[in-house]
Amino acid sequence: MERLHRAATERSPHLDFDFPNRCLRIEGESYPEDAAAFYGPVLKALETFLCSPDPLPPESPLVLDLRLSYFNSSSAKALMNIFQMLELAASRGLSTRINWHYHPEDDAMLEFGEDFREDFRFADFHLCEVETDLAG
Amino acid sequence: MRYARVHFGRFLHGLHFMSMTAESLAFHQQLQARGVIFSFVGYLSEGILYSLGEALKQKMSLEATDANVIKRVFSVFVEQAQNIIRYSADRVAGELDRPVELSSGLVVVGREEGRFSVVCANIVAHTEVGRLRERLEQLAAMDADELKSHYREKLREPSEADSRGGSIGLIEIARRSSAPIEFGFIELDAERTYFCLKAYI
Repeated sequence: MERLHRAATERSPHLDFDFPNRCLRIEGESYPEDAAAFYGPVLKALETFLCSPDPLPPESPLVLDLRLSYFNSSSAKALMNIFQMLELAASRGLSTRINWHYHPEDDAMLEFGEDFREDFRFADFHLCEVETDLAG
Repeated sequence: MRYARVHFGRFLHGLHFMSMTAESLAFHQQLQARGVIFSFVGYLSEGILYSLGEALKQKMSLEATDANVIKRVFSVFVEQAQNIIRYSADRVAGELDRPVELSSGLVVVGREEGRFSVVCANIVAHTEVGRLRERLEQLAAMDADELKSHYREKLREPSEADSRGGSIGLIEIARRSSAPIEFGFIELDAERTYFCLKAYI
């Protein structure tokens, strides 16, 4: 499965879904003009990847790193969809880890992280405090 | 005689510019007295939203506003402006070199007694009013914990077919506000209603 890469724009995040290495990243700010148009193909690719026969050994974990400084409500909806897909895959035995990076002084991002974390039972969801500025 | 006429014409012309400038100054001062940081009336696009948002963040940063407050104001501003772009009934859309969507509305960000305020207004179809009013009344009556769990609930629901994210956007506005959201409707004619929403941060 090919790597999916989107360079950051003014209102959309840097997105790098390196499927061959099971390494997924979303970084920056997310309030695109049309969240469905931006995240639609991403969700589709992730779904295809999670459903396809896997060339990597099953013990190799899938890692999603999120370093977001701001996202709007339609992006939150898309993130929720990504998390639900990963949790489902984890419940079926795929080792999955999600790292939610947030600045210690960013109340909203910490609260969102704590909120999202409550939905995970099979995937590991980690809140990672980082001192560096996450501004996109 | 001829000279006098030209001279008088210039004089009138000058008067006209003076009254135009005086009017502009009065309007400007009136807005400033109300603590307006910026006000925009007209066709709003995503590009304008981005530029206004950047200027707003910079202005607040220069005034050493708390970083979390900047984020809350910015978030309310983005959701309000995107609601205008998506839901204003007074709009033009089409294809130039790419799809273009321009929606008419008003956005005013201000500072009143130590609080920030974001006001947005646009025209909605009369048929939308009932549902919108009900949703806003429900949100205005909720406390912070209720808003948080309502947001959680909505985030986990499958999207409504006709929604472009507006319902969760309103919850986000209410959630980032430090006081209950204020809103109102004025009927313009049989089909159109003026809708205004104000949030304090």
